[in-house]
Amino acid sequence: MDEQELQQEESQRRLDIGLWRRILVYARPYRWSLICLGITGFVFAWIDAVLPRITGLIIDEATTNGLGPGLVKQSLYYLGLVTLMAFLIWLFIVKAGRAATGFAFDIRRAAFSRLQELSFSFYDQRPVGWLMARLTSDCERVSSIIPWFLLDLVWGSTLIVGISIMMLHLNKHLGLLVMLILPPLAVVSVFFQRKLLGSQRAVRKTNSEITASFNEAIMGVRTTKTLVRERENLEEFEVRSTAMYGHSVRNALQAAVYLPIVITLGSIGVGLALWRGGLQIGGEMSFGTMIAFMQYAAFFYIPVQELAERFTQLQAAQASAERLQGLIDTEPDIKDSPEVIENMEQEIKLGRFEEKIHSVEFEKVSFHYKEGEPVLVDFDLRVGAGETIALVGPTGGGKSTIVSLLCRFYEPTSGSIKINGIDYRQRGLLWLQSKLGIVLQSPHLFSGSIRDNIRYGSLEASDKDVIEAAKVVNAHEFISAQENGYETDVGEGGTRLSTGQKQLISLARAVLSDPEIFIMDEATSSVDTETERLIQEGIKTVLQGRISFIIAHRLSTVRSADRIMVIEQGRIVEQGNHEELIRLQGRYHYLYTGQFARERQEGILQEVASE
Amino acid sequence: MNSKYRMIWNLMAGQRLTYGLAIAALVLGSCFMYLVPMVPQIIMDGVLSSEPEKASDFVGRAVELTGGREFLKGHLWIPAIWILSLTAISGILTYLRSRFAAMASEEITRKLRDRLYDQLQHLPCSYHDKVETGDQVQRCTSDVETFRRFLAHQTVEIGRALIMMVVPLPLMVALDVRMTIVSVVTIPPIVVFSFLFFRKVQASFKLVDEAEGRMTSRLQENLSGIRVVRAFARQDYEQEKFGERNRTHRDLDYRLYKLFAWYWSISDFLCMGQKALVVGAGGYFLAMGQLQVGTFFFFLAVVNMFIWPIRMMGRILSELGKALVAIGRIGEILDHPRESKPPISQRQILPMDSHVGSEIVFESVSFSHDGSGQVLTDISFRAAPGQTVALLGPSGSGKSTIVNLLLRFYNPNKGFITIDGVDIGKAKRKDVRSRIAVVMQEPFLFSKTVGENIKLGRTEADESEIAHAATTACVHDAILEFDDGYETVVGERGVTLSGGQRQRVALARALLEDPRILILDDAMSSVDTETETMILDALSHKLGQHTTLVIAHRLSTLMHADKIVVIEHGRIVQQGAHETLVTQEGLYRRLWRIQSMVEDDVAEFKAVAGDAA
Repeated sequence: MDEQELQQEESQRRLDIGLWRRILVYARPYRWSLICLGITGFVFAWIDAVLPRITGLIIDEATTNGLGPGLVKQSLYYLGLVTLMAFLIWLFIVKAGRAATGFAFDIRRAAFSRLQELSFSFYDQRPVGWLMARLTSDCERVSSIIPWFLLDLVWGSTLIVGISIMMLHLNKHLGLLVMLILPPLAVVSVFFQRKLLGSQRAVRKTNSEITASFNEAIMGVRTTKTLVRERENLEEFEVRSTAMYGHSVRNALQAAVYLPIVITLGSIGVGLALWRGGLQIGGEMSFGTMIAFMQYAAFFYIPVQELAERFTQLQAAQASAERLQGLIDTEPDIKDSPEVIENMEQEIKLGRFEEKIHSVEFEKVSFHYKEGEPVLVDFDLRVGAGETIALVGPTGGGKSTIVSLLCRFYEPTSGSIKINGIDYRQRGLLWLQSKLGIVLQSPHLFSGSIRDNIRYGSLEASDKDVIEAAKVVNAHEFISAQENGYETDVGEGGTRLSTGQKQLISLARAVLSDPEIFIMDEATSSVDTETERLIQEGIKTVLQGRISFIIAHRLSTVRSADRIMVIEQGRIVEQGNHEELIRLQGRYHYLYTGQFARERQEGILQEVASE
Repeated sequence: MNSKYRMIWNLMAGQRLTYGLAIAALVLGSCFMYLVPMVPQIIMDGVLSSEPEKASDFVGRAVELTGGREFLKGHLWIPAIWILSLTAISGILTYLRSRFAAMASEEITRKLRDRLYDQLQHLPCSYHDKVETGDQVQRCTSDVETFRRFLAHQTVEIGRALIMMVVPLPLMVALDVRMTIVSVVTIPPIVVFSFLFFRKVQASFKLVDEAEGRMTSRLQENLSGIRVVRAFARQDYEQEKFGERNRTHRDLDYRLYKLFAWYWSISDFLCMGQKALVVGAGGYFLAMGQLQVGTFFFFLAVVNMFIWPIRMMGRILSELGKALVAIGRIGEILDHPRESKPPISQRQILPMDSHVGSEIVFESVSFSHDGSGQVLTDISFRAAPGQTVALLGPSGSGKSTIVNLLLRFYNPNKGFITIDGVDIGKAKRKDVRSRIAVVMQEPFLFSKTVGENIKLGRTEADESEIAHAATTACVHDAILEFDDGYETVVGERGVTLSGGQRQRVALARALLEDPRILILDDAMSSVDTETETMILDALSHKLGQHTTLVIAHRLSTLMHADKIVVIEHGRIVQQGAHETLVTQEGLYRRLWRIQSMVEDDVAEFKAVAGDAA
């Protein structure tokens, strides 16, 4: 759990009923399970409240009437109730399980599908780990607290009332006396549960720091050794492990002091029952009643403690509930407008969904990720059918942003992007995005076979199509050389393959999708020069008749583009084909000469290595 | 197995007394706890009963000792105070038991964590090469936690359950043998049932964990590949895939709930059945006049006290195995030998620190990892004090291994390396390393502030020194642009630095160390050419203060070195200054040719273009 999360959690002090009511909407499908839980809790509490009374009756029957039908009857009652309790336990665990797992499933599904709609500006601000925690630990916490809270709320409050009624019924005067321990029990329980919540948080926080320290110690072991910092690091670690000792002991002591206090409070009740009850023995009070009283007094603290604990747990889970609700409530800032959705059917009917893309225009497009830090300013670009555009320039100049805008991963902050002459915001998102083929520098593969990964580009593609696509990008050879060929498992995130191999597969994937706009963002940065040349040849045929955008560090990749744009600080500083730009002797010329030499040198080094 | 127990025993060193106190408090505390129901028993049977003569001798004597029947009958508040005081005393003892147990177990855990941390830092690189970070971290965190729970809870709970059961036995037997038998009859089935259940349920736990793992890994893949998902508009497909795993997880989890429903209902039935038995049998004996009311109450109270700890025992016993596994995994780290130290008799001392660079000599050094494939063969070269020596060669040719050997991360199989005439194999590793500063291609920064990261190698450095080092490394301005300047936290919890920024921060860190040997291992690969030139310029002003070893792919970085060592397949094929190497046939010249060729190429192209125009 990270720092920010803990702070958020800390800020939640009051129970937010409105929030829980909204969360409970997701529990609607399980309302019968929850109602059943409530009833179970109610019945269970009454059995708990009645059993000591029956024990008392058995004693009284035995002492006054001896071995008679009364004694047998009461004993059978006792046995019957115990059996019923066992059944109720079975029932409420099954029902709570049904509600908890079902609720977790539903809310996870809702959050996941919301995540599929949210735009990249949302993802930019939140690390993957943070999002994962919402769907795992937060979800777990919220879904498991709801049924148990409900059960114990009903059970605990019914039991407190039940015990009180039983005692008052048996002996009003003594009952009131024993009930005097209730207020201090409640105060002590709430006080300590709060304290425990606080120290548990401190333990969790320090624990995550310790995990981070170990991680760092291992990842940075060479750096530590070269800096000869073993002693200093250990000293810093000892501060943390000592803090952990302090928090853990504090937590344990709080728990250790709480239980004896409430049990001692209970013993006051037992003492009172013995004293005041004993005085009336032989008169109004029978032994059975007195024993029942002592049992009531001894376990009065249990429902109180349980209630206090559940309420603090609910409070602790509130931050999780809030974050989950927040995630599900987040509206994606890029989505189809109501008009677009309305026209969708019409479009499909008219066949406009099938319409081919023949032109892309950027008109006075400006864009910023952060207010006051413009990335693109009044950017104009017009691309016709079949053109290949290369974007070059320094990192952070805005090349990738241009491509992201084109894909409508972001929308321009001003100006417009027109596809086939129509602002793309007036067309469906899916219409555009299903026509794109994108290859990124850090190629993301999904765990599964190589074949599955290529097929991700077109789910209906036959095995033959997959192989065909692999051949186009010259990946077939290395794939066939793998142990299981196309069935080779790529590992989680493709870890079993080199970056170059992953790039080849993601290229094949894009080729297979047969896109109308083809985008390569540093797509071949990690393959060697020779492979790159082969890819270029293969890709040439793919690029034919499509609009394509190529971002590359390697200028050899860029040379054959129809148009090359040098982008610096969000503007086009030079454009033209390779020859024109070289002749210009400007930025492109400068980049080309420096870069080309380096590429050739690297090529030679690779050659030597493979000799 | 034995060694694990011995290890636990050894880890407990220093805390054994505290543990002993915890056990003493536990025994005493439960004695007092059982005295509490004795009070009502004595009062009921010996004072309130209409037939006090039927009470046992023990009860009679207890009544006599405390003032006699009539006195107590008139002063019933006195036994009430007893109940309260005995409960309070047992409460205090319970508190002490928890306190001692917590202090002992947490202290043992703290020491164990410190030892593990220290050990990890001192294990040789060959160890770290072989293990996985995630696995090691898990051993240091969750395995340690398992062990802590074993110390703090499981041993205490087992001890408590045993003592709670044993302590009242003599009392019970003394009061009524038949009732004693009735009171313990379900204990064996409860323990056996829960032990077997938890042993069996492990498999289901594992299934749920695995299903959850598959679900989260799908989630992670989806989130980190969200761009790919969108690029191919595969949202529906992804939802279906995730939905499948979400559903499997739900179903397995629900199944686990159902298993537990059976477990809790049966084991609670057994526990409550035990109470029902006592009530029923007690009622019968009572009716037959063979049992006194107070004694009946005592048995009822006692059963209620020991039955719940007993119920937990089966579970704890079944989980003990886990603690032993965890201890074994921790032991594997602790028992691994650390980086070796040269024997004192052979130890050599590096000469006193001076302010000129050190001399480095590699003398016929060969190296292979565990005998598999020769990495370096017969490497000999010398770097004179203050010189800059460049290592050039394709990736995988062994350049970085040379650096690793110099840092004594590994030891050469043959030959030796000297710094200022001293064989580094015979010097203390710390002495060798503290004269060297290294900047790697992917430098590691700690999650501290930028400023703290820079002064890691020389903690006493002041702000102006830090700023100076950062300026030399061309990263000062970039740092000032961060929101908190030098106070900005880097790494997972803070800002993410670009590759070039990390390299430059690491360079500043190295420079601040003011080392006698500076190693730049492809250290500026992510820095753009212009900045690199500036840095190299700034470094050249420090000429002579340290000996520099440079590994780079850019010729422009290397060509100004005093000596260039060209390495292919682990062997030195050429060495000399730029001027010498360009005159020799070989790799260096081929690379150098390209540099000039491109310039020619462009010039030619321009000429042609000019003609055309």
